[in-house]
Amino acid sequence: MTRWVMAILAVCAATATACQRPPKPGEPLRGLSAAERARFDSGKAAFDSVFTPETGLGPLFNANGCAECHEDPAAGGTGDEVERHATAFHTVAPPGSRQCDELAAQGGFVYQNHVTPALHAALGIDSEPVPAAATALAHRTTPEIFGVGLLDAVPDSEILAYADSADADHDGISGRPNRFFDGRLGRFGRKALVPTLLEFNEGALSAEQGVTTPAVPTEETVAGTPVPAGTDPAADPELSAARAELLTTFVRLLAPPAPLKMSREAQQGREVFGRIGCARCHRPSFTTALSTVAAINRKTVDAYTDLLLHDMGPDLGDICLALATPTEFRTEPLMGLHLKKVFLHDGRATTIEQAVDLHGGEATTARDLFRALPPTDRAALLAFLKSL
Amino acid sequence: MHRIMLTSLTLLVSSRALAAQQPSAPAAARPAAPHDSVRGAVRAVDLRARTLEVTTGVGFALRVVKLQVPADVPITDRQVGQRGTLRLAELKPGDVVRATFGGRQTGFVAYVIERVGRMDRGVEATP
Repeated sequence: MTRWVMAILAVCAATATACQRPPKPGEPLRGLSAAERARFDSGKAAFDSVFTPETGLGPLFNANGCAECHEDPAAGGTGDEVERHATAFHTVAPPGSRQCDELAAQGGFVYQNHVTPALHAALGIDSEPVPAAATALAHRTTPEIFGVGLLDAVPDSEILAYADSADADHDGISGRPNRFFDGRLGRFGRKALVPTLLEFNEGALSAEQGVTTPAVPTEETVAGTPVPAGTDPAADPELSAARAELLTTFVRLLAPPAPLKMSREAQQGREVFGRIGCARCHRPSFTTALSTVAAINRKTVDAYTDLLLHDMGPDLGDICLALATPTEFRTEPLMGLHLKKVFLHDGRATTIEQAVDLHGGEATTARDLFRALPPTDRAALLAFLKSL
Repeated sequence: MHRIMLTSLTLLVSSRALAAQQPSAPAAARPAAPHDSVRGAVRAVDLRARTLEVTTGVGFALRVVKLQVPADVPITDRQVGQRGTLRLAELKPGDVVRATFGGRQTGFVAYVIERVGRMDRGVEATP
């Protein structure tokens, strides 16, 4: 017995990385240099910062800091906040306009749930009003952001290789890319609007916390009207570019959630996952591009997404966004699924079974095959999903 | 590294555009810079008023920049270079444009507009 222990210790000493326990939620990627680890720690302090009106919060906001929403089970996780998004979608584009109006000229598409006392005193509102022009109001839960730095490092070409906008292979799955307004490929957000992690965070500082940065130097408007004078005591930009970058470094270096040890049943479920077609959208893995950060360089990330838009059917549909129609959503990454307590973009499902059952559109065939599975296969598939 | 540079350049363009937006803000609050630039998607074209609305922004923080387009403003198409002069009526919603502009008492006035592509076809990140 002692010899066995000695042998294991010797192997561990020789291959230290392989024997490390997997990172817990909120911990950094393995293999960071001392300098990278120091920036991760400094970034966490920025992520944990709490803003007040005097330091930049609001006047419109959803949360007073990143960690107010991304808190469970650790910084970078989820939270119980639900925010509102609204847009106007026209079946036929009005003359001279696009089909989708993100209502950006009317404060959209994020409509903040809270206002500072000064804005309340000035306008008598408790939240940003949604304009009458909106054709849909969506609710969005807080996504976990563990491992998103690896998704940020996936080359565009890998994502576009899965695109099949016209369903040329006739498999009923026609993933297509969303694009930001300058034409770059999007990948972050439930509608895959945002091209990069840094932009996602800088946009969130403005849209979620009302904190201006050099990248977003102007405050959100109140449904299109600038905030009244005297309601925003902090000078713009309220956060430096260096601080925003530091915060993003923390998020970039957050490790993806380690999957749970797979039982024999779960291993069988992985086969079912592929057999009934789940993996046609929930692609098991991507490989990151070259990076100067060794922990991100050419890594496999088991994200279970293709980062493309798919039609999910009218029952799930809500807002449009850039090229995404109301019924199109980005394939939700399944990494960290075992940490989730609610499912789908608005949290309407409380179990994985419910979430699968609510799939429609391009996922109809896979959903119907799921419904028709024998009990043993169904249980195996759910065991697999609960291990991710 | 190349990717980081491209992102930085894009953010620079976006942030300048964001600083310049808020058309209903009083003129005195506008930046004093003689010109600025924006890159984004055509949201709406009003031929009668000769205005162009461009959706731009960073992440979920979206903004709309409304530009007046005098008749003598050069509008070009990157695909065909300077010879490919366009009329305002040829700009369509969903076109990705880059424009330089300046502030006037009446609002923002375009100096140069270049169509660089279409949102739905994708555009290289190069500004």
